[in-house]
Amino acid sequence: MANPKIPEFKADWKEGEEGRWGMAIDMDLCTGCQACVAACSMENNVPFVGEEMSGYGRQMAWLRVERLWEGEYPEVKMTPFQPVMCQQCGSAPCEPVCPVFATVHSQVEQLNLQVYNRCVGTRYCANNCPYVVRVFNWADYDRPEPLPNQFNPDVTVRRRGVMEKCTFCIQRIHKAEDQAKSEGREVVDGEVAPACAQACPADAIVFGRMDDPESRVSKLSKDGRAVHLLEELGTNPRVAYLKGGSNGNLG
Amino acid sequence: MAISANALPHAHADEHDHEAYLRKEHLMLDPKPRGEMNALVMESMTTTSWKFWVIAAVMAAIVAIGLFGAWGYMIANGLYLTGKNRPGYWSLFLVHTVFWIGISHAGTFVSALLRVFKAEFRRPFTRAAELMTTFALAQAGIQIFAHMGRVWLAYWMFPIPNQRLLWTNFHSPLMWDFLAINTYLLSSTMYLFLPLIPDLAMARDRSTGWRKSLYRILAMGFRGTEAEWTHLRIALNIFAFAILPVMFSVHTIVSWDFAAAMRPGWSSTIFGPYFVVGALQSGVSAVAMVVITIRYTMKNMDYFIRKEHFDALGKLMLIISMSWAYFFFNDYMVQWYGGDKWTDALLHFHEAGPAGWIWFMMLITNIAIPWLVLWNKNWRRNPVMLFTVGLLANVGMWAERFIIVPVSLEINRMPFMWGQTFKPGIEVPMFIGTVAFFILLYMLASRLIPLVPVWEVQEGQMAHSIRKYGKEPVVSVADLE
Amino acid sequence: MTNKLSRRDFLKLASLGAATSAVLTGCGPASRYVTREPYTKMPEYNYNGQSTYFATTCRECAAGCGLVVRTMQGRALKAEGNKHNPVNLGKTCARGQATLHGMYNPDRVQSPLKQARGNNPTDTDWDTAISIVAEALNNPADTAFLMGLAPDHLFDLVTDLCKAIGAPAPIRYGALGMFEARATLGEASRAVFARPDMLFFDIANADTVISFGANFLETWVSPVAYTRGYSQMRRGPGGKRGRLIQIEPRLSQTAAKADEWLPGAPGSEGLVAVALGKLYAEKKFGSAPTAFEAADINLAAEASGIPLEKLEHLADLLAEAEHPLVIPGGATLAQENGLETAKAILTLNALLDNPGKPGGVYFTPANPLSNKYQRAATANEMAEFIGKMNSGAIKTLFVHGVNPVFELPKSLGFEAALAKVGQVISFATFPDETAMLADYILPDHHGLESWGYQRVVTGTGQSMVSGAQPSVAPFYNTRATADVLLAAATKAGGKAAAALPFKDEVEFIQDKVSVLVGAEGGFYNAADLPAFWALFQQFGGWWKNDSSLGVPPQTANAISKELKVSAAKPEGEGEFHLFVYPSPILAEAGANKPWLQETPDPTTTVMWNSWIEINPVTAEELGVEDDDVVTVESAFGVVEVTVYKYPAIRPDVVAIPFGQGHTAYGRYAENRGVNPANLFGTTTNGAGDLAFAGMKVKIQKTGKKRPLSRLESKLGVYGIGMSEEH
Repeated sequence: MANPKIPEFKADWKEGEEGRWGMAIDMDLCTGCQACVAACSMENNVPFVGEEMSGYGRQMAWLRVERLWEGEYPEVKMTPFQPVMCQQCGSAPCEPVCPVFATVHSQVEQLNLQVYNRCVGTRYCANNCPYVVRVFNWADYDRPEPLPNQFNPDVTVRRRGVMEKCTFCIQRIHKAEDQAKSEGREVVDGEVAPACAQACPADAIVFGRMDDPESRVSKLSKDGRAVHLLEELGTNPRVAYLKGGSNGNLG
Repeated sequence: MAISANALPHAHADEHDHEAYLRKEHLMLDPKPRGEMNALVMESMTTTSWKFWVIAAVMAAIVAIGLFGAWGYMIANGLYLTGKNRPGYWSLFLVHTVFWIGISHAGTFVSALLRVFKAEFRRPFTRAAELMTTFALAQAGIQIFAHMGRVWLAYWMFPIPNQRLLWTNFHSPLMWDFLAINTYLLSSTMYLFLPLIPDLAMARDRSTGWRKSLYRILAMGFRGTEAEWTHLRIALNIFAFAILPVMFSVHTIVSWDFAAAMRPGWSSTIFGPYFVVGALQSGVSAVAMVVITIRYTMKNMDYFIRKEHFDALGKLMLIISMSWAYFFFNDYMVQWYGGDKWTDALLHFHEAGPAGWIWFMMLITNIAIPWLVLWNKNWRRNPVMLFTVGLLANVGMWAERFIIVPVSLEINRMPFMWGQTFKPGIEVPMFIGTVAFFILLYMLASRLIPLVPVWEVQEGQMAHSIRKYGKEPVVSVADLE
Repeated sequence: MTNKLSRRDFLKLASLGAATSAVLTGCGPASRYVTREPYTKMPEYNYNGQSTYFATTCRECAAGCGLVVRTMQGRALKAEGNKHNPVNLGKTCARGQATLHGMYNPDRVQSPLKQARGNNPTDTDWDTAISIVAEALNNPADTAFLMGLAPDHLFDLVTDLCKAIGAPAPIRYGALGMFEARATLGEASRAVFARPDMLFFDIANADTVISFGANFLETWVSPVAYTRGYSQMRRGPGGKRGRLIQIEPRLSQTAAKADEWLPGAPGSEGLVAVALGKLYAEKKFGSAPTAFEAADINLAAEASGIPLEKLEHLADLLAEAEHPLVIPGGATLAQENGLETAKAILTLNALLDNPGKPGGVYFTPANPLSNKYQRAATANEMAEFIGKMNSGAIKTLFVHGVNPVFELPKSLGFEAALAKVGQVISFATFPDETAMLADYILPDHHGLESWGYQRVVTGTGQSMVSGAQPSVAPFYNTRATADVLLAAATKAGGKAAAALPFKDEVEFIQDKVSVLVGAEGGFYNAADLPAFWALFQQFGGWWKNDSSLGVPPQTANAISKELKVSAAKPEGEGEFHLFVYPSPILAEAGANKPWLQETPDPTTTVMWNSWIEINPVTAEELGVEDDDVVTVESAFGVVEVTVYKYPAIRPDVVAIPFGQGHTAYGRYAENRGVNPANLFGTTTNGAGDLAFAGMKVKIQKTGKKRPLSRLESKLGVYGIGMSEEH
């Protein structure tokens, strides 16, 4: 207690380390159905903000499904749906900039944590996140009774003035780890899934242990189709996107 | 950098007129007896018309409602009242923070740098400039605190030992900034106070009642002994040199808030000097505006502040405008040359986006107008023109920060999440509130402390004399130190 | 303050026991966020801090996906997929996820209400309510039931009741049934495969799928099951990725996932289908069979706007494929020539020789509880029913699980006919438009508070019934409609009481599912009803382990019948085809759930409102921009809606999603967007389904602006706001 360890500048990440938890998203399978968005919001007590606010870039969802366009009618194509959430970077740009250590790297789970009750709301982390996945509580959003009955007691309800983001459903990870520990074993592959992966009807989102080379997510992340978002920035994201299909596009 | 001793080529100047002209033109050559000058300054402090109180009341009302009222309302309701959103997480509050810090710069610059280089024209308005540092920093502080989501926890940014062993993150540029601004605030306040002591002692000796009690405390028993003067001079010399690096560091560190971030348009290596020059651009212009305002609103100030000062400030503004133009070009060039596609998109967005007119306005008010106006001696000596140019330069520098903060935030590496729209929010009344607060502080200060450093003027006047070589009047300056 | 006092604060108060501590801690900001609930409210089966999970069935649509609801201390926290349920295998769609926003919706009907057609609502009690229902049951001849597509147990109960008392059989309706044109598909199946059954399209095992506007990834029939099928198709056996081609006037979410989207003109799909058949047969067999012999390929290309080479290319793909499949979508069949189109597409499947084979077309399995498939009423059947209402033959109308005032096209005149009905009794959970026009609202529980079962019509090859049970105690003073009817039947006595000798809803359901006790091939086996019932609740239903899909008869017959297909004649005048599709997120009943409102539309990313999709070139011709309001006028109605310049829609087509435009239905739905069903006409196809996709409309600029809330950046995605590169 006498000598508290001041966290490292960035996570103790070394080249070649995969991290502990990871996700692989097959963009060929993702149908953009938004089930993940709804599931995440229901699991994590994410507030809704209303028409005006959501149209003004204040929608609170922790993940979004992106799509762009290519070409013009009739040769127009929609780029594959791409769910973007916190990439849980191994070397996260959001972490060093927080003046109060509200954005820290967890050494145990190797995830980017957002400590709500430490956050003072400078929003620097959000500016420095190249994936623009952080959302800020601009207000205490109204959830009329009896909607709050649905609150997940495992997840803090955030108040105005704090930043939040995808946690990889850390509450579920902890539950699974506790269970595994009580049974004297490691968490097995497929035992824990965040709300988005659990809901995904197309099974496009795969979650699991990155440090287990046999896990589904490890294998998918090493697949030839796997790319990481803005890889060139060296953030070492934990989410792999599987691009293209086995026989590509027609025409 | 003494006043030029060249004969001034005035068409109508015969010998006698020339000497009269020199005395009229230069404060340093137009000495008054000490008692008279002290009386002039005391009078300017105590003569208050009803107009003053009306304006002060209006300013106070704007501060109460526009600044603190709005801020309180925002604290109670949340930052949704501002124009911020995703991806514009930062916007006008940060613009205004940088704006005020920029203005605060010129105080030290004009005072310390000109003192170090013995620029004599500085003498009558160093005080006004130093006050600007402190007052503008206060506004910057208000803006940065208003920016926070949970300002009631702002003390978590202070490195205070606590039971939970929670410490602040010194890796964060915001922390550097926080420390730099605090250092600057403390040192510049001391630097303001030191040269104030002899004048406070003078005021103490020439006032009665509450003023006397106040000045007695503030003057800290200064009696004007040789030892006291020596100590003061040494201290001032140390401070004048020491504060310059602090001044350069502050705005450089402010620029790191942006330059250290991983964003197109922000991650620019030249941001440090670019920000310093930008700060001078707005700050020196603001000094000019303050000096002109003082000259035309306060009693007896026409003696202390003369066209030569407008002239000097005008030249300074011109040079700084040129430097700013150079650094702007430099910044643009290195960013463009890098060829990063996101930066390219951003640079294109600056000029072709919805805020494109602001970008062009910035170039006009920061470069075109100062260059075209200040080149001309008569124009820069014209208070209306100089004031207008100064005001426009501040508008231009506001625009520069607006381009750097909210406009640049619109473009990131995820085009799906690029900016949507920008609506100004509660930041606008709060900015107007800080302007009013700044003016109000100046107004109150003008009633309480001598806005002209009397002893410095007197010191300068003692050092200056006019000698005659034949019929030619020649200015000579004795080195005091 | 007592209610707002947090437990932690209570402990502090107790330990310090001083008034000062109340000042210091009692009213701190945190106490606003923690409220204490009395222990008496907790169901006794809950442990503190432990969740209890209940398997039930999702009621957001009629597909019958299984849910597992996580509850804690008597509150439902999260709806998750039931991984055992063969329909969804643990997955859910966005609507299923948001079902809790229905249960805990702030605008539910909280107690039985008596109201004069929406005016002066006053609370009433259940005894009064039951006697009113009983009275109506005593006059069976002029009593009618209008039911939704879910839940099935109530429909069975009402069917039994009506049969017993001699009332007309209940009629079922649901907007999704209309949008899927299920009756047309059934009729076509009767014509081509000799059985009017619901069909199952085995996308999972197909390797080349051509979908004629079937939005199977959005709302079509059983979206979660078909999404899984799509996912398996893409990861086909041996890693061979299946292909998907979508022919549809606008790029839907499903079309966005297709390898190729072909913007075929509305109404030309039948022509394209027979042309493909001809091209395929000629390539594969050298000559076309009778059904496709007369196809005019040039006409198909011209009418659809799909170039000839493309059609040949598609035929090549079909010829190369091992498991080709073509699917008819709802809007494709909702044309005046819809039945012919459906026949053509099914016959094309027959030509591809896929019926009854992996990756082909099957009959859905026979249901374990009943073989009869009760589909939604067609527009013709509804029109007939409305005619009956208008004639005054219906004295009492019971409405459950459907909101016809909103869901039916306005042109059918349901609302006006409602005025001619003596007494309207609604069992609505939410104050929807129909309930607002009722004399009584006798609110049913929300689906997650209810018992029940749902027959799974399609989505899995396993014969199954999905079970529902309450996950929490009813939140309000609502009562299960089945219980109300049972009590009313007992009260009415006579045949009604004799036909329904059940104490309550659960006894009725147990009676129905008792036929499954000891049934062969089930997921579990139980010897007696109590054991079976426990397992039925535990697993959320009963299903067979093996697939029992029906194999359509020999295909030779089908392809030797002549097909007569022509281009559809559009209804009304105007220069644009109107294309209405059910919103993938809201569907017909999602608008009152705030998180669904805020979930961005998959293709446009618009939230909280309606929009009209217009091709950018067309928009330029009309002189309209994004966010401009235009009027859309058909021969039957006018709506005002905001423009979204959609880059992937035919220039002669405009599209509006269905799901918004409520005038009631709670704060989140009310007065938001427009209901495109107000534009629909009355033309029906050969099977009686509404030809809603065959409308022509006029568009007029209004000069007004109403910005849409969208998630995407207009700047980043469309470059709007940035002037041209120079």
